[in-house]
Amino acid sequence: MAAKKTMTLNLTDAEMDALERLSADKDLTKTAILRQALRLYQLVEARLVRGEKLYFENDATKEKAELMLV
Amino acid sequence: MTATASTVHLLEMATGKLVEADLLDQVEERHLKDWDTQWRPLVAATVRRLVTTNAPMSQWPQSFHWNWRQKIEDMKGILSGASFCIECEGVTQGMMALNVTSARTRLAQQKGQHLVYVEYLEAAPWNRPEHVAQPRFRGIGSILMYAAVARSQAEGFKGRVGLHALPQSHVFYADKCGMTDMGPDPNVQKLHYFEMTVEQAEGFVDGKERS
Repeated sequence: MAAKKTMTLNLTDAEMDALERLSADKDLTKTAILRQALRLYQLVEARLVRGEKLYFENDATKEKAELMLV
Repeated sequence: MTATASTVHLLEMATGKLVEADLLDQVEERHLKDWDTQWRPLVAATVRRLVTTNAPMSQWPQSFHWNWRQKIEDMKGILSGASFCIECEGVTQGMMALNVTSARTRLAQQKGQHLVYVEYLEAAPWNRPEHVAQPRFRGIGSILMYAAVARSQAEGFKGRVGLHALPQSHVFYADKCGMTDMGPDPNVQKLHYFEMTVEQAEGFVDGKERS
């Protein structure tokens, strides 16, 4: 993998709690969670710029709900 | 960014000898040029032969419509995408495209965890028996899968890998890679979905390192 750079991140207690919970649930380090979040954010942005929309679909009912992003 | 190369070995079928090759962590323009000028003409010749002989569609190379240039172009600058390829004797012998972000595991024992999803994996046509009577090199698929597992481990996903396989590749992923066949996926053209657990990944890597 490519060389990495270090940064300091300031989070509120609530944000840190959420990060720690995701880290435990997903069995990933906090760095890995934030890296995944950045990748997903970038991917969603790239698709939105192309004029696409983001939907969640209920697996059982097949009902779709558009996620509004501003 | 320039690709990083690691030395790997392919089995040369004609001589039975191992030959050195490079595993690169990025598909670059020269690899796409090989695909365009060397892979595609051979694939087109195979399809022409199959049409001429009225061969059933089941015998057609099922990846003949894959467009590597488009796939790599779509991934450009996108952090969730990754690509690998193998070069030997100055020619591209295989390529693989990965998604390292948006897929999750499906097997009950690891459901919802992150994994590396193999979008596409293909060996050059002269290395495949659907195209040539005597394939040139063997080991390309295994080395690329090994790279996918290694990438999964480097990401913290512990070797978990998933993919949808073309029917001609079922035996390779089930028997050679030791993945679990979860059957046809109605959402992805009924292609079988295969998944590798942490334990299966360790077994696959151990087997690869012993061979």
